[in-house]
Amino acid sequence: MSPQRRLLIAVLLALALPRFAAAQVANDFFQQNCSTCHTIGGGRLVGPDLKDAVQQKDREWLEHFIQDPEAVLNSGDPYALQLKKDANGIVMPKMPGVTPQMAEELLNMIEVQSKLPKSSLAGVTVSEQPFTANDVLTGREIFLGKHKLSQGGPPCVSCHTLGSIGGLGGGRLGPDLTLVYKRLGGRKSLGAWLTAPATPTMQSVFRNHSLQSAEILPLLAVFEDSSQQSQPANANSQIKFSLAGIAGALLGLAFMGWVWRGRIRTVRRALVSGAQRGAA
Amino acid sequence: MNVRSQVSMVFHLDKCIGCHTCSIACKNLWTDRRGTEYMWWNNVETKPGTGFPTKWEDQEKYHGGWEVKNGKLQLKSTSKAQTIFNIYHNPSMPTMDDYYEPWTYDYQHLFNAPEGTDQPTARPISMVTGELIQIEAGPNWDDDLGGSPVYAENDPNLKGLTPDQRAQLVAVERLVFFYFPRICNHCLNPACVASCPSGALYKRGEDGIVLVDQKRCRGWRMCVAACPYKKMFYNWNTGKSEKCILCYPRLETGQAPACFHSCVGRIRYLGVMLYDASKIEEMASLPDEDLVEAQRSLVLDPNDPEVVAAARKSGIHESVIESAQRSPVYQFVKVWKIALPPHIEYRTMPMLFYVPPMSPVMSNVADGTIHHVSDNLFHDIDESRVPLKFLANLFGAGHEEFVRYALRKQKAVRWYRRAVTVGDVEMATAERMLREADCSPEQAEAIYRLTSLCTFDDRFVIPPMHREEAIQMMEDPLEHKQGVGFGFLSGPRRGM
Repeated sequence: MSPQRRLLIAVLLALALPRFAAAQVANDFFQQNCSTCHTIGGGRLVGPDLKDAVQQKDREWLEHFIQDPEAVLNSGDPYALQLKKDANGIVMPKMPGVTPQMAEELLNMIEVQSKLPKSSLAGVTVSEQPFTANDVLTGREIFLGKHKLSQGGPPCVSCHTLGSIGGLGGGRLGPDLTLVYKRLGGRKSLGAWLTAPATPTMQSVFRNHSLQSAEILPLLAVFEDSSQQSQPANANSQIKFSLAGIAGALLGLAFMGWVWRGRIRTVRRALVSGAQRGAA
Repeated sequence: MNVRSQVSMVFHLDKCIGCHTCSIACKNLWTDRRGTEYMWWNNVETKPGTGFPTKWEDQEKYHGGWEVKNGKLQLKSTSKAQTIFNIYHNPSMPTMDDYYEPWTYDYQHLFNAPEGTDQPTARPISMVTGELIQIEAGPNWDDDLGGSPVYAENDPNLKGLTPDQRAQLVAVERLVFFYFPRICNHCLNPACVASCPSGALYKRGEDGIVLVDQKRCRGWRMCVAACPYKKMFYNWNTGKSEKCILCYPRLETGQAPACFHSCVGRIRYLGVMLYDASKIEEMASLPDEDLVEAQRSLVLDPNDPEVVAAARKSGIHESVIESAQRSPVYQFVKVWKIALPPHIEYRTMPMLFYVPPMSPVMSNVADGTIHHVSDNLFHDIDESRVPLKFLANLFGAGHEEFVRYALRKQKAVRWYRRAVTVGDVEMATAERMLREADCSPEQAEAIYRLTSLCTFDDRFVIPPMHREEAIQMMEDPLEHKQGVGFGFLSGPRRGM
């Protein structure tokens, strides 16, 4: 290779690199924030497949929508309303970090990826085989934390409850997951969601402890099973939980009362009231 | 033989007039501070009565003192294991109500009350909460049989008395009571010291005074529960326990403790006794009926050369041995045997002894005349208004013979002196009584002198405490001799 050629390639590379780098940033951003609900050429999850989205709607509208979906919806835009309807009423959240520049790069990236025969952002493929009872059982153990998550994430039960786990249920910090399988639209989208959880709480908790596919599958199984079999935990179980707490406290107090039953409560007052009773 | 010295005490109950001067002297000197309002290191109780705190003698409730379990001497209130389990909640703790809620009066109201149709009053205010309170009880609520149907009738010492004897105690025309002043007994086998998880309580080696190290005390209050005489008090302000210190700062300067010094009836005696510390556990484990004798056997004769030699070997100063030889307490307890320990059945070996009180002469009416002398010269001791059993419960672990002996001797001395000075009693009768009461005329004279004519120096034979030597153990008194100090606090000035 002649030096001139080499120089030419270097210059070309140097020119191409920022563009290439920008595409990489958009790709990562999509992976982290969008892939939960969207694929590019992988079919519909919660949100629509974005393959050829740039061809379907004008760029200005798309940039606008990506930056603030709610504002576009509130303006009564018919296309946006249609999208909401298609997504079972789930509204796309306003993602932090989507600047006008980022929106443009995302659209560029989507355009590029749409042209590829197989996009790297086509989403996970989840096996379509029906789950076995064994999968449900493993999933249940993972959910309850009996089986530790391999990357060290906290077990689901510490924040969530599930109608099928029985007992006093799980945590009440996060939402009840009994019907999450139906709510998020089935195996594929829930699987995508679990791969990269999108809500701020889940994201911060699992950012460094991502769920592995060997864990996601059994979890999907237990969620599917629970959505078919049980009702979400209702207020009743909360009352039960409180009552059990009160009963436990009373038992504890009764036990202490029994252990120290010989303690001095009063001497003089008992003496006086006893004498008064005797006199009456 | 492990000879130690103990500053011991005798209270002559026959002389106590129940004036409470001792209590006030102590209160003004030591417990007139925040957190100590309710404490009475010295208090005077009326017997029969329930005392302070209410019914303190009822160890079924308070679990004070020692008991012999499986042949071993053990605290009733706690053990090493129980201390851990009960450390944050001691189940045998008297409540504030069992002492009393200390109060003062709203005197300001007398001056700044708004004009009204009636005189303003100074209402009682709690010294703990500062709120207006309804006074329900005080430290001496049953004084002079006040509230008898409640308090006097529930005196734990009435145990074992027949219904007749009980009725006799409260029958109006035969009503009788005596006073029972109490301070810390500075016991030989103190339950408070044994119970302390922090090791803050100790018995001073040189004089046996039991003290609380205020720096080491952590306020666990095991001592409050363990002391059967309820003479350990918890200061709620400092969070530490306090007790009678037998006015050791006064003793160290040769003065009698404040309550002794101020005693109007001159009932209090103080002096050193030498005792054998190696036998305490053995003696305190004996059955109830042997305890009085056992304690006497711990006290050693200070004139016995063998004892003196052993005392010297234990490092007891010559002047203390000499002081023990002149001790009035030794005479009362060991020689005359008329001073008895209170509730020896608690097995703490108290070193405060009581001369049991004589009760009024029981007279009987026959043929319209009053007779008070019968052929049985000691008839009114066994039939005295205060039943012997009651005194025995207090001073003899329920066994009457010790109390009877002490009372007979006292009565014999009285009759002997009556024969000497008044002459209305035959000397032969008096001497017969002395013989029957195991008392020689010389002893009777000595008892009479120490009881009736005792001077200050007869009553208080305070051993030299030799603080000047004790202090050398901790610091060198000559350390600063000829040293250069920090200069004058207010410098000398020249001129006018």
